[in-house]
Amino acid sequence: MNKLSKKRTILVVEDERPLVQAIETKLDKSGFTVVTARTVDQAMGYLEDIPSIEAIWLDHYLPGEKTGLDFVATLKNPKSKQRNLPLFIVSNTASKDNVSSYLKLGVTRYCVKAEYRLDQIVKDVISSLEHPKE
Amino acid sequence: MTPYKKTISEYSDIALKLEVLAKEKESTRRKLAVTAKQLAVTAREKESTRRKLVVTAKQLAVTAREKESTRRKLVITARQLAVTAKEKESTRRKLAIAAREKESTRRKLVVTAEELKRLHETLEKKVLERTKDLEQIRAKNEAILASIGDGLVVVDEEGKISYINRSFEEMLGWKAQEVIGKSMVAVVPREDQNGIEVSFKERILTQVLSGQKFVANLTNSFYYIRKDKSRFPTNSIVAPVVLGTKIVGAVEVFRDITKEKEIDKAKTEFVSLASHQLRTPLSTVSWYSEMLLAGDAGKVTATQKKYLEEIYAGNQRMVDLVNTLLDVSRIELGTFIVESKPTNIVKLVQTIIEEHRQLIDKNKIKFLSSFAENIPTIQADPKLLGMVVQNLLSNALKYTTENGKVELAVSRVDKNILLKVSDNGYGIPKNQQDKIFTKLFRADNVVGKDTVGTGLGLYIAKSIVEQAHGKIWFESEENKGTIFFVSLPIKHVNSVLG
Repeated sequence: MNKLSKKRTILVVEDERPLVQAIETKLDKSGFTVVTARTVDQAMGYLEDIPSIEAIWLDHYLPGEKTGLDFVATLKNPKSKQRNLPLFIVSNTASKDNVSSYLKLGVTRYCVKAEYRLDQIVKDVISSLEHPKE
Repeated sequence: MTPYKKTISEYSDIALKLEVLAKEKESTRRKLAVTAKQLAVTAREKESTRRKLVVTAKQLAVTAREKESTRRKLVITARQLAVTAKEKESTRRKLAIAAREKESTRRKLVVTAEELKRLHETLEKKVLERTKDLEQIRAKNEAILASIGDGLVVVDEEGKISYINRSFEEMLGWKAQEVIGKSMVAVVPREDQNGIEVSFKERILTQVLSGQKFVANLTNSFYYIRKDKSRFPTNSIVAPVVLGTKIVGAVEVFRDITKEKEIDKAKTEFVSLASHQLRTPLSTVSWYSEMLLAGDAGKVTATQKKYLEEIYAGNQRMVDLVNTLLDVSRIELGTFIVESKPTNIVKLVQTIIEEHRQLIDKNKIKFLSSFAENIPTIQADPKLLGMVVQNLLSNALKYTTENGKVELAVSRVDKNILLKVSDNGYGIPKNQQDKIFTKLFRADNVVGKDTVGTGLGLYIAKSIVEQAHGKIWFESEENKGTIFFVSLPIKHVNSVLG
């Protein structure tokens, strides 16, 4: 299952240009509409403006003062409208404490970029959107 | 006259004669009776006399024997007396000689006493001079000990301080007069990285008093607590003090390694940071070559595909190397992520074997595995345990020639799980066996044969096994093969990796 059954919008928050391009291309080929952001603030702005976003692909270390963890903490706030959006943390640099914080906050998945094939991560995103219980 | 007619006178004569005869007969009979009685008496007396004679004869025989015995004894006594007399004479002569010698000795002694007096005077002079020399040497030694830049402390068999030097005073804040005669443990507690007290007497002193050295270096350093309760990291060597053949105490030399610790930590942090940073460009290479191979940028030719696969594989090796470096830095910084869960070791090992199946087939290795039935599920981190198994199995496969044999067995020995990985490959040279678990070490005989190894696998495996209170060891002979053993205590895997 490498393609969505219908077009869905995903927000990719990643600052490394070559990686963003690769992710965007792969997601686009799999049937996603891709919105990309480089910072947490930019990402927050897109979330408010684009209600069709159904999933978030997030790096940990980002330019600016806020990290991916701050973003997730805001999203998972009980008052947040987007608290149920599936979250995929795709990072190379998070420490063990950060990883466990992400998992405690209830992200859908944490994976290390260098250890996963891009098509594998995309497959996982698709799978969790098409079969939310899995 | 007829025969039948006799005269009365004739008859009277006969009667008279008969009467006389009867009387004579009676008299004779009486005499005979008397004689018979007398004879009877005589016979009885005779018998009595005979009996008495028999008794007397017996008594005489006894007396004769006694007399003979006494005579013999007397002969012996006479001989002994003769010997004693000779000895007495000999002793008397000896005494005479001794007396003469005594007199001679007495005369000599008088001479010697005078000589001794003279010698004594000379000796006394010499002793005074020597004592002065010794005192100087002692003062010099004392000055050297006192001035050693490392802390120095000497304790007796009970761990009581008998000497400290100036560096000890400076490093720990105690003066000699405050600590001499006191217990080292009581004066200077030592604790590990996490502030848990290290028992000096039980763990170190006992070992040293049995004749072994105790060495704490950068990798197993501990902390000393100063008089003001502050602490500093320490390297130390504790060695037995041997007097003649007897161990009479221990001497410890220690130094403050705050700087070395900082540098070591900075180095490890650098490795950690660099490795993390390296992952981003590695991800870029990985993902783009993956996309090219997947045809995301258009169809690739067979040759292009081959080249791209090489790029992808080379990059993957770099990713593995970076991950290994990160594992090492995590071990050294103590930041290993431990995610413990009920783990079926048999299943875990089988999965790892499957991951190596391609290599086993490629090298035509005869591979055998066996699993005991009584292996319990344990609470442990499968990722960490997996790393241990993975390292041992891939080493066995890497360092065995084509058509070689590799065996993997999991069994239960008492309260331990025993993992055994054996091969009939290159083996480890005898003179390098003690270094095989050292970080970045690779044995000479494999460096030329395999360029992929990092010298980190066994270092990581040992660190993980020891954190789980397990043991790892091996038996090896060059060109014959190697057997690695890992023993994990079932309950400790539970508590430490869990």
